[in-house]
Amino acid sequence: MDGMNPRDMRAPEPGTGPQERDDRDLDWLLARVARGDQTAFEQVYDRLAGPAYGLIRKVVRDPAQSEEVAQEVLLEVWRNASRFDPSRGSAMTWVMLIAHRRAIDRVRSASAETQRNQKSAAVAAASPDEVAEEVEANLDRERVRRCLNSLTDLQRESITLAYYGGYTYRQVAGLLSVALGTIKTRIRDGLIRMRDCMEVTW
Amino acid sequence: MTLLRHDLHTLTGAYALDALEHAERERFEHHLQRCQPCSHEVRGLHETATRLALAVARVPPPQLRERVLTTAARTRQHPPVMDQRPAPKPRSAWIPRLAAVAAAAAVAVAVVLGIMQSATQHQLDRVQAQEQAIEAVLTAPDARIVSHRTSVGGTATVVFSEASHKMFVTTAGLPPLPAGKVYQLWLIAPGSNRSAGLLPAPSGGRTAPVLASGLAAGDKAGVTVEPAGGSPQPTTTPIFAIPLAG
Repeated sequence: MDGMNPRDMRAPEPGTGPQERDDRDLDWLLARVARGDQTAFEQVYDRLAGPAYGLIRKVVRDPAQSEEVAQEVLLEVWRNASRFDPSRGSAMTWVMLIAHRRAIDRVRSASAETQRNQKSAAVAAASPDEVAEEVEANLDRERVRRCLNSLTDLQRESITLAYYGGYTYRQVAGLLSVALGTIKTRIRDGLIRMRDCMEVTW
Repeated sequence: MTLLRHDLHTLTGAYALDALEHAERERFEHHLQRCQPCSHEVRGLHETATRLALAVARVPPPQLRERVLTTAARTRQHPPVMDQRPAPKPRSAWIPRLAAVAAAAAVAVAVVLGIMQSATQHQLDRVQAQEQAIEAVLTAPDARIVSHRTSVGGTATVVFSEASHKMFVTTAGLPPLPAGKVYQLWLIAPGSNRSAGLLPAPSGGRTAPVLASGLAAGDKAGVTVEPAGGSPQPTTTPIFAIPLAG
């Protein structure tokens, strides 16, 4: 490259693991989607539909409603691709944030009846066994399960009720009959432990 | 107050899992804008939540694909969100480039303001001098702006004026480097690479503008990863190299 001795050049190597490479491909695809590239959107769909649908289904439970929410989310990705800012986080995380938020919008605005169903469903969601049940050939599964199992029971239950159950931490405190402040800190230190256990880089 | 802050800070986990009620979420987001350690932590916890999501991925109903793709094909996309901060008043000669330059100005000002929040008087004087130099580049009649993704992620933005032989560079979202490594800015030309200084530590993911003068025809602006303190000549492949010519 321009006046530099090629022998002296070594490419800097931050983030060359498969996860990082995937993230960067997805960033690139989203940039294409932002410019209206439908072929890129097909590839984005194939990468994101499974994770988005799985997460939504976990929170919403009802297959028909989950499908509706997943459709909304994926179309939001199409419409808002230009607003994805790679300097603020990975593309996958951007989409999972949208998916989770739309899913909890759906369950939190649902009727009291549905919320009662949610309650029993969410309690079931707290079991790591169920995590295993719904996943096939998923490389993240084993690791997440192992890391979830390394948490204290209270940390694990708080996190799974909040994330997979779609509950507010206030509702989690009520469900587990634990003080609000305790739930708040358990969710935080449990997640930090998960982050370190899964060696998440960002 | 300290207690309240502490209290807010422990909400990073619940926030990352969308487990706050609406009002609380807004209050926390307001806090996030001013609390860099919190936003850093939230970012890591969001990535962690993504792993929880990936662990429950499942095959979507087959009919969904066709429906989403055909609906997308009929759906108009939103334009990018532009910076809403007031732009400098237009000046005749460079009106066509105003939007781009104003956007760069907003970035530069935001970065400078970010620094000023935690600066001493001495630092403020230096920042002020730098701000004037940046303004001089931005308001040059031939000011141009180029943004580029870098090969390691994140973006680099160069604003330059060929007439005044000056430029400045800001970056957003470059990956953090291991201890003992720095990002170094260069003016790159065949047979003549000149160091233009080291990129400062990022604040909120962005690096403050680094100014350089003495641009020559055919120069590129580029950044390499170098040992702490910088190198006299680049020793690695640039993560970007942007031509500085109209």
